[in-house]
Amino acid sequence: MTTNRIPTAQPARRRSARRFNSAYLFIAPSLVLIAVFIAEPIVQSGWMSLHDWMVGESSHRFVGFANYTRLFHDSRFWNALRVTVVYTLVVSVGQVVLGLAIASRLRRTTWYSTLLRTAYFFPFIASLVVVGIIWKFLLDPQVGLVDAWLAAVGVSPPAWLQSTALALPTVMAVGIWKNVGFTMIVLLASMQQVPRDLYEAAALDGAGAWRQFRNVTLPALRPALLFTTVIATVNGLQLFDLVFSMTSGGPIFHTESVVMYLYQKGFVEFQMGYASAIAWVLFVIILGISAVQLRVLRYRDVD
Amino acid sequence: MLFAHRRAVPVAAAIAAIAALLLTTACGNGSSGSSGGVVHLSMLTGFTGPDEPSYQTLVKEFNDTHPDIQVTMTVEPWATVGQKLPASWATGQGPDLATPSSDPGSIFSYIKTNSVLPLDPAVGSGADQIDSAAFPPSVKAAFTVGGKLYAVPANMATLALYYNKDMFAAAGISTPPTTEDDLIADAKKLTIGAAGKPSQYGISLADNNTIQMWPVLQWMSGGDILDSNNCAAVNSAASVSALTTWSQLVAKDHISPVGQAGADADTLFASKKAAMEINGPWAAAGFKSAGINLGIAQVPVGSAGPVTLASTVPLMIERTTKHPAQAKTFLAWYTSKTAQEKFSQVSGFPPARTDLGNSTAGDPAVSVFAQALPHAKLYLAGQSVASQIDSDVYVPFIQKIERGAGVQSAADDAAKQINKLTGCKQN
Repeated sequence: MTTNRIPTAQPARRRSARRFNSAYLFIAPSLVLIAVFIAEPIVQSGWMSLHDWMVGESSHRFVGFANYTRLFHDSRFWNALRVTVVYTLVVSVGQVVLGLAIASRLRRTTWYSTLLRTAYFFPFIASLVVVGIIWKFLLDPQVGLVDAWLAAVGVSPPAWLQSTALALPTVMAVGIWKNVGFTMIVLLASMQQVPRDLYEAAALDGAGAWRQFRNVTLPALRPALLFTTVIATVNGLQLFDLVFSMTSGGPIFHTESVVMYLYQKGFVEFQMGYASAIAWVLFVIILGISAVQLRVLRYRDVD
Repeated sequence: MLFAHRRAVPVAAAIAAIAALLLTTACGNGSSGSSGGVVHLSMLTGFTGPDEPSYQTLVKEFNDTHPDIQVTMTVEPWATVGQKLPASWATGQGPDLATPSSDPGSIFSYIKTNSVLPLDPAVGSGADQIDSAAFPPSVKAAFTVGGKLYAVPANMATLALYYNKDMFAAAGISTPPTTEDDLIADAKKLTIGAAGKPSQYGISLADNNTIQMWPVLQWMSGGDILDSNNCAAVNSAASVSALTTWSQLVAKDHISPVGQAGADADTLFASKKAAMEINGPWAAAGFKSAGINLGIAQVPVGSAGPVTLASTVPLMIERTTKHPAQAKTFLAWYTSKTAQEKFSQVSGFPPARTDLGNSTAGDPAVSVFAQALPHAKLYLAGQSVASQIDSDVYVPFIQKIERGAGVQSAADDAAKQINKLTGCKQN
C-alpha cells in the first residue's frame, strides 16, 4: 500500500510547489506597493509618534509616549473626536436607513425607478471636495441659491455653515446625500438576489408586506448591510474632505474632525510626531469599532 | 516544498528590491543645474492669483538682463507649497528659491531646520548686493532672526479701505470715512434692510482664511495682540474696548455678516451686497472687473493715529543650492530700485523699499497703498508661534465675540493661551 501511494503523491507535491513558487512572483508587485506605500509608512508613523518630530529637522528627540500623554490632555483633540463620532453615528445610520428605504421603494425596475436610481447614485461618483465646494456655494447666506429660494417663499434663511448650531448638522446632511446612493445600489443588488419563492411562501403563510420585509428581505440583506455599515463607519471616522472644503473645521472648531486636526498639526504646523500620535489613536479606534461591528453583525455567519 | 519556498522568497525579494529602488529614485527631483555656462535656478511660489503675471514679468526681465542666470518660476497653491517645501528642502531636493508661505512667520520653521541660507554676506549697498537697509524696518526685523537676515520681501502690501462709490452716493455720503467714528457711522448708515438680515451690509469683515482685518480695528484704538515682551495684549483695556465696539457693531447692528472667510467677504463686496471692505492691492482687479464703481482710500484713523496692516511674503534660498552666488544675485536684483519700480507699476503693489519716494505716485491706486507703508504693521511679526496663535487662539476668539460672547472673559482666555504659546510668564 505504501509503495502504491508514493507515485501518486509525488507529482501532486511538485505541482503544489510550482504553484507556490509562481504565486510569490505574481504577488510580488502588489507586495512591493503595499510594503512601500502602506506598511512602511504605518510602521514609520508609529516610530515618529514616539519622537518630537518636526519636518525637516536633522535629528528628532525621542520622547516615548509623551505625544500620547499630551493628546490625552488636549481638549481640542477630544472636541475633534466628539465631532467625528457624532458625524459617523448620524451619517452611518442615516445613510444605511435611507439607502434601505430608497432601495425598497425602487426595487421594481421601471424607466422611472432607473432614472431615480441614477439621480441618487450620481453624487457618489463626484469628488467629495467638489461636492463640498458646490454645497458651500449653494448654502452661502448672501449669494447662495438655497437661501435665495427660501427668501423667495418668505422663509428667513439661516447661516447654515456659519452658525455653531447648524454647521455640523449641515455637513452631516451633505455627507448622507453624497453617499446614500452607494448604500442604495449595494442593497438593491442584494435585494434582487433574494429568491422570489421565499416571498411566495411567506405570502402563502399569510405574511403581509411589512412581515415579508422584516422576515425575508432583512435577513437576506445582512451581508450587504454589514458591508455598507462598516464602509460608512470607516469613511465617517476618516472625515476630512467635506469639512476641509465646506467649513475648514469652523466655526470655532464645531466641525473639526480628528483627521482635520491631524492635518493642521502635521501639515500646517509640521508637528509630525504629534500628528502621528493622532493618526495611531484614530487607527486603533477604527480597528476597534470595525472589529466590534464584525462581531455584532456576526461576520462569519454572513461571509 | 521547503526548497521551493526558499527559492521563491529571494526571487520575490529581489523583484521587490528592484521595484522599490525604481520607486525611490523616481521620487528624486533635480531642481537646478548649469549648461553652456548658463546657470538655471528654480523658484517655487504660491502666487496663483491675478498677480502671478506681475511676478513672471519681473523674472522675465531678470532673465533678459542676465543671460548667464536663468530663473524659472513655478506656482502652486500656498497649501501645496507648504506641504512640499519642508521635506524637499530638508532633503536637498527642493527649488533653489522659494516663497514658503504668505505668512512671514513661516520662516522660523525653515531656519530651525537649517534649510535656508543666511543672506548677510550678500547684504550691502552695492549694485549687486541686497540693500536690506532700504526695506521697510518692520519687514527687515521680521526677516532677521538671531541677528541674521534670512529672507527678502517677495512683495509688500498694505491694506486700504475699498468702497463702492454708487452705494455711498445712494446713501448721501460724499466722501469716504477718514476717522474711525466716521467709519462706524457710515457702516451703520450703509447697512440696509431687516434687522438681523440686511440686504446690504455697511462693511464686509472676514474672520477666517483671510488677510487679517480685525487686528486693524484693534490697532486703531491702541489695542494689540502681543506686547513688546511677547506677552498677550489682547485683553488690555484698549483692546477690549475696541473689540467690544466692533463685535457689538457686528453682533447687534449687523454691519457685517458673521463668520465670513476671506473669499466670502470679497464675494460679498464684489456682488454689491456690502459697501466697504478692508483689503490689499491684489483685490482691486477683481473688484473692477465685477463692475464696481470702486474707490480706494486710506484706512480711517482712530484714537491711536494712522495704522494699517502690512503684508509681505518671504523669499528665501535653499541652504544646499548648488548656485548660492547666482541666487543671491537674483535677490539683489529683485529688491533693487529698478525692479521694485517696475514691479510696482505692473502689479499695483507698493514697492518693498522705502527709498523710492514719489516714483509710484503716478498710479493713484498704488499711491494709496504706498502711502500707508510708514504706519503699516505686520501681524504677529517676528513671532515663531505666529501661525499657532492665529489659528488656535485669535481666529476662534474673534469668532466667539462676533457671536455675542463676553469680550473681557473671552479675551482673558485668549491671553492665557497666547502666553502659554509664547512662554510669557507674566500673569
